[in-house]
Amino acid sequence: MRPEHWLFTISLRLRSLFRWAQADQDLDDELRDHLERRTEEYFAKGMTQQEARRRARLDLGGVEKVKEECRDARRVNWIQDLILDLRYGLRMLAKSRAFTVVAILTLALGIGANTAIFSCINAWIIKPLPYPRSDRLMVFATHDKKNGWTGEHVTSPADFFDFQRQNTSFEQIVAWAGAGLNLTGDGHPELVDGGRVTWNFFDALGAKPILGRTFIPDDDRSGAPHVCILGEGLWQGRYAGNPKIIGRNITVGGEAYTVIGVMPGTFQFPLMGIANLWTPLALTDKQRADRSGSWLPAFGRLKPGVTQEQAEAEAGVFFSGLEKQFSQTNANLTWLVNSMTWDIRRKEGGPELMIVFVIVGLILLIACANVANLMLARATSRTREFAVRGALGATEGRLAGQLLTESLLLFFLGGVAGTLFGFWLMRLIESWIPGRIRGYMINYGHVDLDFVTLAFTLGIALVCGLVFGLAPAFQNARLDVNQTLKEASGQASGGQRGARLRRIFVASEIALAVVVLISATLVVKSFIISIRTSPGYNPENVMTAQLVMPRTKYINDSQKRNFGEEVLARLRALPGVASAGAASNVPFGGFGQGVEVEAVRRPSQPGERTGAGFAAASPDYFSTMQIGLVKGRFFNSADSQGSSPVVIITQSFAREFWPNEDPIGRQIRFGEQHTVATIVGVVRDIMRDHLRERGGWLMFVPLAQFPSSTLAFVVRSSADPTMMATAIRDAIWSVDNDQPISSAPLETLIAVVDAGYRVMTKLMAFFGALAMFLGTIGIYGVMAHLVSQRIHEIGIRMALGASPVQVLRMVIGSGLKLAVVGVAVGIVVALAATRSLTTLLYQVAPNDPLTFTAVPILFVAVAVAACYLPACRAMGVDPIVALRYE
Amino acid sequence: MSKPSDLVQGTLDMLLLKILALEPMNGFAVSQRLKQVSGDVLQVSDGSLYPSLHKLEQEGWITAEWKTSEYGRRAKYYSLTRLGRRQLEKEADNWGRLSSAISRVIKLKEA
Repeated sequence: MRPEHWLFTISLRLRSLFRWAQADQDLDDELRDHLERRTEEYFAKGMTQQEARRRARLDLGGVEKVKEECRDARRVNWIQDLILDLRYGLRMLAKSRAFTVVAILTLALGIGANTAIFSCINAWIIKPLPYPRSDRLMVFATHDKKNGWTGEHVTSPADFFDFQRQNTSFEQIVAWAGAGLNLTGDGHPELVDGGRVTWNFFDALGAKPILGRTFIPDDDRSGAPHVCILGEGLWQGRYAGNPKIIGRNITVGGEAYTVIGVMPGTFQFPLMGIANLWTPLALTDKQRADRSGSWLPAFGRLKPGVTQEQAEAEAGVFFSGLEKQFSQTNANLTWLVNSMTWDIRRKEGGPELMIVFVIVGLILLIACANVANLMLARATSRTREFAVRGALGATEGRLAGQLLTESLLLFFLGGVAGTLFGFWLMRLIESWIPGRIRGYMINYGHVDLDFVTLAFTLGIALVCGLVFGLAPAFQNARLDVNQTLKEASGQASGGQRGARLRRIFVASEIALAVVVLISATLVVKSFIISIRTSPGYNPENVMTAQLVMPRTKYINDSQKRNFGEEVLARLRALPGVASAGAASNVPFGGFGQGVEVEAVRRPSQPGERTGAGFAAASPDYFSTMQIGLVKGRFFNSADSQGSSPVVIITQSFAREFWPNEDPIGRQIRFGEQHTVATIVGVVRDIMRDHLRERGGWLMFVPLAQFPSSTLAFVVRSSADPTMMATAIRDAIWSVDNDQPISSAPLETLIAVVDAGYRVMTKLMAFFGALAMFLGTIGIYGVMAHLVSQRIHEIGIRMALGASPVQVLRMVIGSGLKLAVVGVAVGIVVALAATRSLTTLLYQVAPNDPLTFTAVPILFVAVAVAACYLPACRAMGVDPIVALRYE
Repeated sequence: MSKPSDLVQGTLDMLLLKILALEPMNGFAVSQRLKQVSGDVLQVSDGSLYPSLHKLEQEGWITAEWKTSEYGRRAKYYSLTRLGRRQLEKEADNWGRLSSAISRVIKLKEA
């Protein structure tokens, strides 16, 4: 059609659409006018008035048929059809309220689960980082080409500054180091998460302060006047949002810092956690020259037009130069350049989230299969309605369109309800993430129902409505009008095909539910095993209080030692305290220390040194933590400052170094000072940084021999440890009232670090239960419907002498057959699918025999139970009533 | 849509356009005129006339106007539009070519 033609006719089309009633009236008038004229014509030819009218009508054919053809000619008909169908659909849904409510609730569960998980994926994985042109931001990792290890984010300061000077790929290169900073003066001492950063940190991220300025190069020199920038949260909290904060001095780590700026609360740097205080990195010349240790985290912003590959290639060339120049420190080392977005998202458990996404996808399929079954069942009981409409001239297409519209309407309403359920579920998931973890997530882990999520929800609702609406639509549109109208009661099942389709739906949804439930069970079982597995100590009822002694105040070892002993003495005296100990770090406390160790027995060979976790602990630490002793002894008061160094090591450490010998009395050499210590005890393996990992190699030395400036007090109380928090804090402050403390029950520390896994487990348990629930409803619905369809047949059987038990067996048997087929398929699929869960499993094989037996048995049992109610109904059938009910 | 079986597909549209090109008239008159000029050879049922008129109107080839008829009733009068005139010329051309081609074939003498 030519464009101007189209332009010309569009108004006509719109008119016939919007002036629909008027157009219909016109059509009426036109045809009536015609009939009258024709009648007059015949009348003039000598027929009677009555005969003339009859002839005129015959000439025209069916008035309604002509009208319908005229409407068809107007071509916008499908929109009118749609409006009619929607109205009719709404009426039908309102009429069969039970069906509508069950279908919408089922869909709400299926769609809502997807909405919730998708909104998390959208917030944490799809959305860009909150920086301008965030795709240009790259993080670095030091990579050892020979040994294959990679140090995420870190580099050595000398490498960093050389590359910063010489590279041509980056606009800015930034180094930063996250730190807990002690804030004293102005009220309670406070340990604030923060970071030391090079001056260009904020510039590179494109962040502007809400007050004051950011750092300039002069701030970032060793010996420059101390300046700092506050986060809005800290500024509002501790300084009451005082606008005159700029230029004020605050005490950070015992030294005076001038506040020069305040960053908005929206500024975030997920690699640093919830930081609220920044100071310049200001490395000394000696630190800047350090090439031996990779400890300085760094990122950069690419110049326009430079790709990640080009930047990495440049870094490669640069580092191979360094390799030749500094073969001692830089052998085999190079930099990897990775997108910051990718790096941050990887941390948030993207793959795990995707597994959950697949799970909720399966749940949606189960829900849809349920609803499709309900629709099929309803379509069967509506066969007469459709046969009559067909007889009155509705085409197959119109009937199918009608059913499809009803299905879309239903799924749309399900989508709306699902959005509400999804919103609730999304908030629930969000609330499962502890605050400390949120700091490391994009937008602090905040999730919102935004446009993308709504579009996604609507999209899946309509696609499912279309796909799952097709089956009932075609089943009914193609029915044989004569056959259906002849069947007196309309009770006969709507063809064998419909019944078979329903059985296939149920069997497949059971199969899907089995897959989901097996996956969920495996994950939950792993979780239960992992929390039941002793971490090597007993975290119950233990309160921890961690602090960092400022270097300016605690200069020598005896000061540190005295402080620790003084606090311990006061803690032990507190009422309700069973025992108290101290260590340089506690498990999951975030201060994990490590050293290099070697066995003294062997001559020192380079490369044979091994890393081990390290902690200096007081004698009471072991009894307070209830660490299990395998061999030898714990520390005692004799292991003091003057005596010869002693060490306690963990079981797997001992086994590795002295596989078939008694380690007690052997010596190890460790640390930068190459201290030699004698092993006096071996303890059970201890999980310090992760649950679900083999206990790492750990060694303990006496705190009295190795005083530490980081201290963690552990207090075991007889009751709820949180009750002790204030008393512990006051006890510490009674020794030094300028000491910020971060205190939490040990169980909380573990829960925080383990949060991602816990969220994942909760989700899997939740969705496993949901899948089971939907599967059960599905099989119940189908059995109930099949029984009501076969009432007549059952009546005949009973009239011919079938006993109620035989009927019961028949009904349950047919349900059981479906369940067994579904479960069998489910097991096979699950065997293949659960392999992708391996990363989530702990001490549970992906094909765990117990799970693969228990879940199917459970399902078959539930299926039998679901068939029982309909079967009872079948047993209660009165043959007389059933046969008369035609 | 039912079509008169003895009418070549698509020619009804052309005939209606041609009739309306003479003067605006209502549906009944179109039907009468069609019978009259074709000498009852072209049987167009009243039932198939109206859908065709509506289709032509929808295409923008003819336009309709409500007038009070000679009997004092509201009656719908159709008339040809500029687009319709162009369409009629095109179809008449096509028809001329088609019919002369067909008659040439028919007039071929058997060898």
